[in-house]
Amino acid sequence: MADTVRLRIKRQLSPDSSPFWEEFEVPMTHGMNVIACLVEIQKNPVTKDGKKTTPVAWECSCLEEVCGACTMIINGRVRQACSALVKDLEQPIVLEPMTKFPVVRDLVVDRQKMFDNLMKVKAWVPIDGTHNMGPGPKIPEPERAIHYELSKCMTCGCCLEVCPQFNEKSDFMGAQIISQVRLFNFHPSGASLKEDRLHVLMGKGGISECGNAQNCVEVCPKEIPLTHSIGEVGRQVTLQALKDWFMK
Amino acid sequence: MTEVAVDNSFYYRRIHSLLGIFPIGLFILEHFFTNSFAVHGAAVYNGKIEFFKELPYLFAIELLFIFLPLAIHGLYGLYIVYTGEPNNLQYGYFRNWMYLIQRVTGVILLFFIGWHVYVTRVSALLYGTEVSYQYMAQMFRNPVVFWWMVIGIISAAFHFANGIWSFCIVWGITTGPRAQKWMGKATIVLFLVLAFVGIRALLAFHI
Amino acid sequence: MSDKRVVVVGGGLAGLMTTIRLCEEGIPVDLISIVPVKRSHSVCAQGGINAALDLHGKGDSPYEHYDDTVYGADFLVNQLPVKRMCEKAPEIIYMFDRMGVMFNRTMEGNLDVRAFGGAKFKRTVFAGATTGQQLLYALDEQVRRFTAEGMVKQWIGYDFQRLIVDENGVVHGCIAMNMNTMKPEVFPAAAVVVATGGPGYIFGKSTNSFINTGSVACMCYKQGAKYANGEFIQIHPTAIPGSDKNRLMSESARGEGGRVFTIKDGKRWYFLEEMYPAYGNLVPRDIATRAIFDVCVNQKLGIDGKNMVYLDLSFMDSDYLDRKLGGILEIYEKFVGDDPRKVPMKVFPSVHYSMGGLWVDDDTDMTNLPGLFAAGEVNYQYHGANRLGANSLLSCVYDGFVVGAAMPDYLKSYQKPENFDKLADKELNEVEKLFEKIYAMDGSENAKKLHDELGNMMTERMTVVRHNDKLEELLGMLDELKDRWNHIGIADKSRVLNQEAIFVKDLENMITLAKVMTKGALLRNESRGAHYKPEFPNRDDENFLKHTIATYTPDGPEISYEPVKIADIPPRPRNYAVDKEETKKMAQNKDKGGK
Repeated sequence: MADTVRLRIKRQLSPDSSPFWEEFEVPMTHGMNVIACLVEIQKNPVTKDGKKTTPVAWECSCLEEVCGACTMIINGRVRQACSALVKDLEQPIVLEPMTKFPVVRDLVVDRQKMFDNLMKVKAWVPIDGTHNMGPGPKIPEPERAIHYELSKCMTCGCCLEVCPQFNEKSDFMGAQIISQVRLFNFHPSGASLKEDRLHVLMGKGGISECGNAQNCVEVCPKEIPLTHSIGEVGRQVTLQALKDWFMK
Repeated sequence: MTEVAVDNSFYYRRIHSLLGIFPIGLFILEHFFTNSFAVHGAAVYNGKIEFFKELPYLFAIELLFIFLPLAIHGLYGLYIVYTGEPNNLQYGYFRNWMYLIQRVTGVILLFFIGWHVYVTRVSALLYGTEVSYQYMAQMFRNPVVFWWMVIGIISAAFHFANGIWSFCIVWGITTGPRAQKWMGKATIVLFLVLAFVGIRALLAFHI
Repeated sequence: MSDKRVVVVGGGLAGLMTTIRLCEEGIPVDLISIVPVKRSHSVCAQGGINAALDLHGKGDSPYEHYDDTVYGADFLVNQLPVKRMCEKAPEIIYMFDRMGVMFNRTMEGNLDVRAFGGAKFKRTVFAGATTGQQLLYALDEQVRRFTAEGMVKQWIGYDFQRLIVDENGVVHGCIAMNMNTMKPEVFPAAAVVVATGGPGYIFGKSTNSFINTGSVACMCYKQGAKYANGEFIQIHPTAIPGSDKNRLMSESARGEGGRVFTIKDGKRWYFLEEMYPAYGNLVPRDIATRAIFDVCVNQKLGIDGKNMVYLDLSFMDSDYLDRKLGGILEIYEKFVGDDPRKVPMKVFPSVHYSMGGLWVDDDTDMTNLPGLFAAGEVNYQYHGANRLGANSLLSCVYDGFVVGAAMPDYLKSYQKPENFDKLADKELNEVEKLFEKIYAMDGSENAKKLHDELGNMMTERMTVVRHNDKLEELLGMLDELKDRWNHIGIADKSRVLNQEAIFVKDLENMITLAKVMTKGALLRNESRGAHYKPEFPNRDDENFLKHTIATYTPDGPEISYEPVKIADIPPRPRNYAVDKEETKKMAQNKDKGGK
């Protein structure tokens, strides 16, 4: 039927309950995305078979693919629900929570680990304070343009979801972190913490656990050159290791 | 603040990577090349075998440059395989398949090389088996052994060639996407050449 | 480290800047946010942030910036805070520059600037077309640093419920709910800073995020905080209408040279350029919005008769566009499917920003409740009747500095009351009671459907053009909606991340706040900035150069007024068809004529 959208959603009512599937059918509107479908379910939380149920929980904020909140698996592929337009999707549209993070409820997962990892690698520029100290360092525009791309990372977790090395068996921090390390190591004042960052990446869960499957760069919604970052930071840790061995 | 666990996995992994190229990769090149003498017949081939048998410090060389590196690379490789969770059916990207094949060929090679070393070196040491052109040819007449050899040769060629590609990223030699793509093509060519050389050498025993 | 903790509610630009400044003052912070702070609505800001750095050497100055802002605001703004903000702006840019924000640069490596609406100087610093995201991330990184040092504790996934207020109206903390367990928890604090952004979701589809319900502001209002200038809602002229929300098409598109047109008599009609020769496509938002609305609705000249006009960038170099506007072009491409580098975009105005908000003191950002501060879009302070583009990021960040400077003084005299536990229990009880009521709701109404209706009735009557009869009708409709709220039936009784229950709570707040906006609009019989009544088409300084102040009563908002404080810039006619200097002369001539 053209005027309705069919959805199959993997649900889970609490972190420790078992998942189950429910099917829904909602009216189609022009330019509809997956978010709009989920809102329709909230308006009428009834399954396709007419069974009353609870509305599906999901995370979202900006709906413009800049906040990263609404990341989920749609028809088997991890992406943001806001930019997943119904007209481009095969039906029934299958929605599942990300698999690499603990489920909170339904499509909501806890991605705190990503933020914790940003803390581990000191992903910040150590400024002296917010008081006036004049402009920051000059940066050549072409260099700036390259690193601006890295700074668009919205911590959505797509790169981790598809990474075969990011799982419960390893502590691998993943492409997101490596790329942020590249960004902050590039910045003239951020580079003050370069060695600290590289040493973290030379530790458990660091860059050496990358298996070069390069799925990360395929799915990154912001098209961040993640594999370039992995290569670049690979070079940085190689040099750091040599420095540690021969110059200390 | 969360403390970062200090461990040596970085160095283990880098040693694993380095050993794959040096000496194992170099040895593979040498091995494929030397065995290609079989193309010129039994006499030439047996002559080469004699040459290697007469190398001074042979056992030490084999132990240090072949057996130990292979054992370390192979066992740590198994651990790497264990830490991965392939997802190729969901995400069928080219590089993701290469990732999987690298691991599959790695595991195959662990068995293959174990067997290969046993029949060509260990049995010679234990039972005094005379390894020669004739001995090999005799063995390859068994179709199971022959195809097992084919699988082993192709696996070795792939694992080595694709390993070079990963090596170049890991050590920061090819950092950019263009360089990585170019290296990808080059290593595929290397794989094809090595597979050709290896299979041709194998067929040379197939009288 | 101070032994007095402060709660900051909201982790957007204003909340994070406040947090950083408090940490620098040695004040530990509990940062409460419903989303991981990196996902706050500030990420949606695109075009840039204003600061009169005069990077082109054309004589721009903070005073010009100040004058443009006050003039753009149609003079409904206390001038001193605006003046201080504009003076601080260059320092703020430098701070972000030092934090590593990847601002676009010139070939020499200096900051690049572009033009924005309502200003004749290029003074908007930008990072591609995702400036808000970039600034937010920079602050997020610094807050993470303070979190690592133990100065900040982040409470992510916590939803603010109520203030803890004593009998004198002094605030001693708040109640927030862990959404994952639906348990309300007590947060004792020497002061609470709300930085929860705007209320755009009241209008259903807007450029705002789904999280911008205005619920926290409304709760503060219900507990005694004054809400000012609620009727001033900015309608952004160029947005992409969508099925779930309207996506912003940044003013920077016009700042970089984009042109608005429609087809008239078979030819392209660049109506903004024709109507406003001095500013052209870069007139302030209220002006552009009314022009587009007039062309589409009154003249029926929208694209194919629909409510849309063209915004054209396709004549420009696509490499240039990618470098300066990449982010917004991607959004258009992804959500509409056309490439704006090749074809003109189709846009229409959409609710975007609330100039009004919680009333705060000019010097400290403290509300009328001692110990309750408001920072960012949630306060009413800097934008009067119309906000200039790229001033919002500035005001959010600047508020962080204001609160940071004022807080140590406030904390010096702060004392935790002896009966704190009793006060906290009382509020905790209120929250529990409310949620028990919500869980027990078994009527026939659905909260999301009611919200749709709320959005539609507000968008129809409370946006570009306002009529008193429609506004009165709207007040009645809102009362009715409030009544129907009581007959909601709730499908989800779970105590795990029950988004439905939380939304039911928010919806009630949205209806309450909608009434504040509407009543303010009804009583303001003039046209000023974004507030336009055809029945009263002119600005009326004699009667309405004053802030609308709403005070909560159970029977609806009580409206009073407070005069606008003028410091340097006497009100003058607002006419963007001519140069700003012209209007100053016009005002002088008028004065002379009067004498």
